[in-house]
Amino acid sequence: MLTIKVTVNGTEYEETVAERLLLVDFLRERLALTGTHVGCTYEGVCGACTIHLDGEAVKSCMLLAVQADGHAITTVEGLAGSALSPLQAAFTAHHALQCGFCTPGILMNMTEFLQRYPNPSDNDIRHGLIGNLCRCTGYVHIVKAVREAARTLRQQSS
Amino acid sequence: MYPATIEQYVRPRTVIEALNAVARYAAGEAIFLAGGQSAMQAIKSRMLRPQCIVDLQDVAELKGIRFDAHGLTIGAMTRYVEIADADLRGGAFAALGDAASHVGDRQVRNRGTIGGSVCWNYVAACTPTAVLALDGSMNLLAANGGRRSIRADDFLLGPLETARRDDEILLSVSWAAPPPRTGSAYKKWGLVTDALPVIGLAIRVTLNGADQCSSARIALAGLAQGAHRVAAGETRLVGTRGDVAAIDAAMTAVANAADTHADMSADADYRKQLIKTIGRDVALSAFARARA
Repeated sequence: MLTIKVTVNGTEYEETVAERLLLVDFLRERLALTGTHVGCTYEGVCGACTIHLDGEAVKSCMLLAVQADGHAITTVEGLAGSALSPLQAAFTAHHALQCGFCTPGILMNMTEFLQRYPNPSDNDIRHGLIGNLCRCTGYVHIVKAVREAARTLRQQSS
Repeated sequence: MYPATIEQYVRPRTVIEALNAVARYAAGEAIFLAGGQSAMQAIKSRMLRPQCIVDLQDVAELKGIRFDAHGLTIGAMTRYVEIADADLRGGAFAALGDAASHVGDRQVRNRGTIGGSVCWNYVAACTPTAVLALDGSMNLLAANGGRRSIRADDFLLGPLETARRDDEILLSVSWAAPPPRTGSAYKKWGLVTDALPVIGLAIRVTLNGADQCSSARIALAGLAQGAHRVAAGETRLVGTRGDVAAIDAAMTAVANAADTHADMSADADYRKQLIKTIGRDVALSAFARARA
């Protein structure tokens, strides 16, 4: 067992965990932040568990909780302030989710994607989404929502 | 898909601390963890059951991309995203960018490293194949202070096998400054975009003053023996100007020499066709980059 200090959505946690505990289970079961989903059997193939580790999108089933010691994490629970983020609002407006299971991972991946690529083409967006499986939407509405969020974010920053 | 018990997790700050941490365990009981995008899969499936994980994330001396008079050095813990975004200064090293920018997905590229990939040496992996075609050298440091540099030809022994010993750490991958008019490229085909390569091909060519290919290296990914060179194709490119007929003849030779297999992804003949089709694209791109 090791004691780790992790900042999650701005709150600092000090927790003692087993070395083999996966980060996704730490978030879901220890911190009760169940917005981060497990869509495959921890195989790293679905992207639903994507979080930000120091601002970068990574799959939390591919990390041990102890690896996050000393780092800052954002989960989907940390995306909205008093209002939904532009990307979340665009997902609502464009019906970019059906069952919603994959949505947290897609929001986390695309939030960082839009920070790095503020003016993406549809092809860029589709390429950026490779690591996230959605079995409902066929991605068309997701691409539309990301495109609109990009536009909104550009307007906000100009 | 959940790790077996891990006795110890350590996060050293220097390579010496990392080597000492591994040395406290019997051979194979402690492992270095780089980006973990392959190793964690093996740990979760319990193909690997390390007693100790030595996480290299804080070892600053293993990170970074450096060009100097000797050539290019990429630290073992340099991530795909950093290689994909780097200015690799022309065509000679362009295959590294081609490979790094299409490994897995964004999340994998944010975490996975060049050193982890070459030391894992998965049978269907982009990076070892690109490193091999580019004639990279693996720079290793042993716990007793011994250093050695091994060319990719001698380092990549076969699927999941390398010449690295358990008591050695990979510091970096490095390349001599390339001759002028050198170009390289990498491309793969998988079942979905950016998936593991069913077939991947990396080619590096150097042109002489008469605009003819003076040297060529061709490496394949996806076949049972792992990343390997195909000399039959290399000799057929040398002396040509890289016209489509010459390239097709060389890629046919590569396809004929390749020991392809059939599985759920592709049958053996289809793999040979992929080699010819992808090989043409890759060779044309490598020649064009050599002339750019």
